[in-house]
Amino acid sequence: MANKYLFIGSKNSGASKWFMQRITGIVLVVLLIGHYILMHATPDSGHTYQAVMERLHSPVWKIIDLTFVTLGLWHGLNGTWNVIRDYEIKPAWNMTIYTVLVVTGVAFWFLGINTILSF
Amino acid sequence: MSNHTSAAVFSRWLGIMFAYKKHAGSWAYILHRLTGIGLTVYILVHIILLTTLLKGDRAFNEEMAFFRTSVFLFFEWLLGSLVMFHALNGLRIALIDLGNGARYHKPVLVFVYVLGIIMIAGMGFLIFQHA
Repeated sequence: MANKYLFIGSKNSGASKWFMQRITGIVLVVLLIGHYILMHATPDSGHTYQAVMERLHSPVWKIIDLTFVTLGLWHGLNGTWNVIRDYEIKPAWNMTIYTVLVVTGVAFWFLGINTILSF
Repeated sequence: MSNHTSAAVFSRWLGIMFAYKKHAGSWAYILHRLTGIGLTVYILVHIILLTTLLKGDRAFNEEMAFFRTSVFLFFEWLLGSLVMFHALNGLRIALIDLGNGARYHKPVLVFVYVLGIIMIAGMGFLIFQHA
């Protein structure tokens, strides 16, 4: 970073992202426990078209799935950015990687919510 | 500047990683990042694969039958072990950062590893009992 005092005292310190990474992580653990019970304790409830359709036609499940996709993608891609940011990489590369992560996030988010909201 | 190929950069990174003295949590830190990147790649694949739902019941059930073969059950178990470690160690990180976890992070790490292994074994049972 050209100016190491650039973000001190500003809204862009990354503190909110750091905090949200923890919060989304905790929420994802709770969601994952349900996900594992649903998918593996009784495999048919997770792996048949019929069962998935029944869930996707209920608004509550839709909201749960939308939350899952949104938080999962954000937590994963923000985490990847956290890892990359720890290494000294040329600013041009930094920019490129950041752009790729954001574009990936937006594209896959639309792909995911499109699947959920189509039913 | 021949040492700027990605292989050279990676081996230098590995060298630095192994040169550091590993205190409690150092391996957890490395594993947390590796499992995190692995899970991020997985969620992208997961989202793509579930778009098969749009192609109707036959296509989806065929895809699911394909992923119920024992090779993929094993991969599912591997994936589950990444999830278990990342989840447990993530809760440990949240305890350190948001709670008073810095005072007891070492016993918690033992807890993470022991409970993690038990949960991974339990997961194996859960997955393979239907195989």
